[in-house]
Amino acid sequence: MYDKTVRRRRVALAVFIGLSLLLLTTFFGESGGGPLHAVQKGAQEALSPLEEGASRAGKPFSDLVGWTGDVLGAKGENEELEREVERQRKELARAQTDRNEAEQLRGIVGLNRQEGFPTSVEPLSARVIARSPTVWYSTIQINKGSGDGVEVDQPVIASGGLAGRVTSVTGGNARVTLITDATSAVSAQIMPEGATGVVKPEVGDPNDLLLDFVERRSSLKRNAIVVTSGFKSTRNLESLFPRGIPIGKVSRVDAGEIELYQRVHVKPFVDFKRMDIVQVLIPRSEGQRAELRGEASR
Amino acid sequence: MIPNGSAFLRAGGLCLAFVIVQVSCISQINLLGGGANIVPLYVAAVALYAGSIPGAAAGFSAGLLLDLAVGGDVGASSLVLTAVGYGLGRYREVRDPAHSLAPLPVAAVATLAYALGFAAVSFMLSSEADVSALVLRDTVVTVILNCLIALPAFVLVRRVLRPVLVVDPLERRRRRRGPRPTGPIGLRGIGDPGTQL
Repeated sequence: MYDKTVRRRRVALAVFIGLSLLLLTTFFGESGGGPLHAVQKGAQEALSPLEEGASRAGKPFSDLVGWTGDVLGAKGENEELEREVERQRKELARAQTDRNEAEQLRGIVGLNRQEGFPTSVEPLSARVIARSPTVWYSTIQINKGSGDGVEVDQPVIASGGLAGRVTSVTGGNARVTLITDATSAVSAQIMPEGATGVVKPEVGDPNDLLLDFVERRSSLKRNAIVVTSGFKSTRNLESLFPRGIPIGKVSRVDAGEIELYQRVHVKPFVDFKRMDIVQVLIPRSEGQRAELRGEASR
Repeated sequence: MIPNGSAFLRAGGLCLAFVIVQVSCISQINLLGGGANIVPLYVAAVALYAGSIPGAAAGFSAGLLLDLAVGGDVGASSLVLTAVGYGLGRYREVRDPAHSLAPLPVAAVATLAYALGFAAVSFMLSSEADVSALVLRDTVVTVILNCLIALPAFVLVRRVLRPVLVVDPLERRRRRRGPRPTGPIGLRGIGDPGTQL
């Protein structure tokens, strides 16, 4: 009797472990459109109404807990923000002057044919209904899907700047992989220096991104703004993110003595742990762009 | 646990509820730089009250549902939570912890084992990004928060599963207590001057 119980217990463990390993192997072995990925999408579609309901029901509670935490850290943050606002005001005045000058310059060199961030995409607001509970997967689920025009690889922004990109879509919802996910990499540029690199995450610390592959000779300043570079090569290789979306600001620069590149630490503008509403940037049709250009010229 | 339809329904409903609440509500709450994770608590509670096989089954199903819901690598959470559920179930079968505060260390061990196991699996599945030391802080905060909410979570699981458990945990705890002192003629209460019948 005892032997039978022990055997049954061991068989059960072996079956569950074996099934888990089989699932893992199959999941990694198949393509993005394989059966397990399809089951995953179906499950997300089926669970999304429950998740949305639970998210709405639990919102007051999570807000209350968040508010308590916010109050504790608000005093110190307030002084910092006041200084930040003062600095931003000055920068805004300077930026508006610069913009006028830049527009005139674009007219001279014909750069105005290049489609910039504000006119090439149309933001679609969406609500965050679920998010990954571990630091290893930085993904969120939003309540807009292919029925609303959302497609895979479209960029997603949140309050402050770039949040991530759509990696999976079903009819009514979509999964967004944040730029803090281990698999994420975004081509970026430091303004106004113009140095370029690739923004990668540091797992476990959503307040610290790494801008890698920045040449050593580039001199960088703290608090310089980092934006998406939105490159487009002659071989039809194109960044998924339009140029000019703010990512964060430079917080620290590490330069190893023997390394060719500098590692720039970037503090993202987006608070990844407090995202409730995001916007998916859906490309405008050519007709809409032409219409916008017409309005702008009038 | 008595393996009948009611048991599957109760355990399955709890599993779904814990996973949905985790990904939709608890994950949105950020405290002290981390957040609670109630899925290991569910697995630990089932293992503590029902044993190793139900614990492993709960771990596998909760992990699978979690991976499907959040779009993670399917099988990774199942693998870790199956081991956690089985291990805690064996602990219950061998040591039979009956103290009313037993859920606290069990919850801490379950959360820590899940965090470390999941980190190990993630590393093995090639995480190419740098790993911050804050992962450790996140783990510690999650363990502390899980300990704080362990008692109500275990009580909820116990209440829902109680009708289908082979041994009632409360009854087990009562049996573990020593017999009350008896009086000179063998009746309880007579020999104790401070006690009145």
